Amino acid sequence: MEYDSLQVQDVLVPVDGSPAGFDALALACTLAKRRKGTVYAVYVIEVARNLALDAELAPEARHGEEVLTKSEDVAAELDYKVEGEILQARDAGHAIVDEAIERAVSAVVMGVDYETPLGEFDLGNTALYVIKHAPCQLVLLRAAARE
Amino acid sequence: MYIIVIGAGKVGYYLAKELLAEGENEVLVIEKDGAKCERIAEELGDIVLRGDGCEAATMSLAGFGRADMVIAVTGDDEDNLVSCQVAKVKFNVPRTVARINNPKNEEIFRRLGIDATISATAAILAHIEQELPTHPLIPLLTLRMGLEIVGLKIPPTAAVVGKRVGELMLPQQSLIALIIDSRGSPNAPTGQTVIQAEDEVVAVTRTENEGALRAALTAPSTSEPFGAAASGQ
Amino acid sequence: MGCGRVGAALATMLEEDGHEVTVLDVQAAAFRRLPAEFKGRRHVGNGIDQEVLARIGVGGADAFIAVTQGDNRNVMATQMARELFGVKRALCRIYDPIREEIYRNLGLETISPTLVGARLLRETLERAPPAGKTGG
Repeated sequence: MEYDSLQVQDVLVPVDGSPAGFDALALACTLAKRRKGTVYAVYVIEVARNLALDAELAPEARHGEEVLTKSEDVAAELDYKVEGEILQARDAGHAIVDEAIERAVSAVVMGVDYETPLGEFDLGNTALYVIKHAPCQLVLLRAAARE
Repeated sequence: MYIIVIGAGKVGYYLAKELLAEGENEVLVIEKDGAKCERIAEELGDIVLRGDGCEAATMSLAGFGRADMVIAVTGDDEDNLVSCQVAKVKFNVPRTVARINNPKNEEIFRRLGIDATISATAAILAHIEQELPTHPLIPLLTLRMGLEIVGLKIPPTAAVVGKRVGELMLPQQSLIALIIDSRGSPNAPTGQTVIQAEDEVVAVTRTENEGALRAALTAPSTSEPFGAAASGQ
Repeated sequence: MGCGRVGAALATMLEEDGHEVTVLDVQAAAFRRLPAEFKGRRHVGNGIDQEVLARIGVGGADAFIAVTQGDNRNVMATQMARELFGVKRALCRIYDPIREEIYRNLGLETISPTLVGARLLRETLERAPPAGKTGG
């Protein structure tokens, strides 16, 4: 019986400017390359409820553009291309899952930093939500633990 | 419109669902209970905020300042009252709507500035009024200063049947405003109007005198039914 | 309204001061906090039900004080006593300082034990410790 490994084609990668996010993007390019899938780099701006969802958030949008530019550089180093996208949403987890459904990707590759806000590792609500609710395969890349 | 719904019980859930289905609305549901929040998030999407809808910090976070309408539908009248009052006073929300569980609370809510109240209890009572021939007093409308308008049907056994309105012993600050006879004709009664069985009486009374008014209009005459049988012989 | 520790202590004090005091609580068991010699009336009932308030004679009271555990119950009952029954002095305990400020601005007589307690603790701390008590 032959095992047909990792049927990954299109991949969605949430990027937020953290090293783990860019590492996840690099991993996504490597995975998508084999079948020439599209890699979507998604930057989510979380909009507080006291603002309308389509509010103009210039500094956040500028940061998003910078992160997407860097994402293109990361992909270029691997001889690959990404499609960048900025979303405004109330909650990043929901936005990522919705986008994965919309784009019908075969995998989400997500990077998380090794954060220990209360003394022990905390995955964070966004990653937790995506792990629970993404309809496709999910690859989680956790940054190396720090001493 | 930006509409904030407080309480994600059955009422809140279906309300949010209907408001979303109208398409034009931005809807946010505020709920304390984590499991109820999750249910909303799973089924209706990212429109839920976990927190106390009476707490100013949560309300700021929820953007009450830009809300067009706040609808408080928890199972506790006091929580609904405070949410709506704080929404009005602190956040200048143009329209506040409260669910009330005790229909008697309608007046106090209105006097404290809540724009509209909805009471399932009152709605059901009003609906079954016609269905039950000897249903007790139905509160129809709460007026100012502890007065209310009530309705009831005179049972055939009542001692007041055949008496003139002027003879009736009614509690203080109660008066009969309207009598609808069994053929459905409304009449403004005078002291000479005679009460008939099956008349529908609409009266004004004080809330605390409701019971006494009901007793005055429905109590059977003491000798019924034997007295009636005896007089027929 | 509310026969917890504060309600029971307050009712006892006010009676000692010579006032006629009526205590309302949703649970009869709460009245065990009152001393045996307390003569005032005890009523079981819900203070945010206007029929209950009418029954216990709030309309004839000179003052109404709401000290249940629920801020919102206290706020609602106090406003009912004022608006529906014309009680002149209506006092209300509200733990949440923000809510307390809102209702104070609306004209209720309010107390936030949260702020009062914190201030008392700070003042006590800022005072010099009583002499001879250190080290036991």
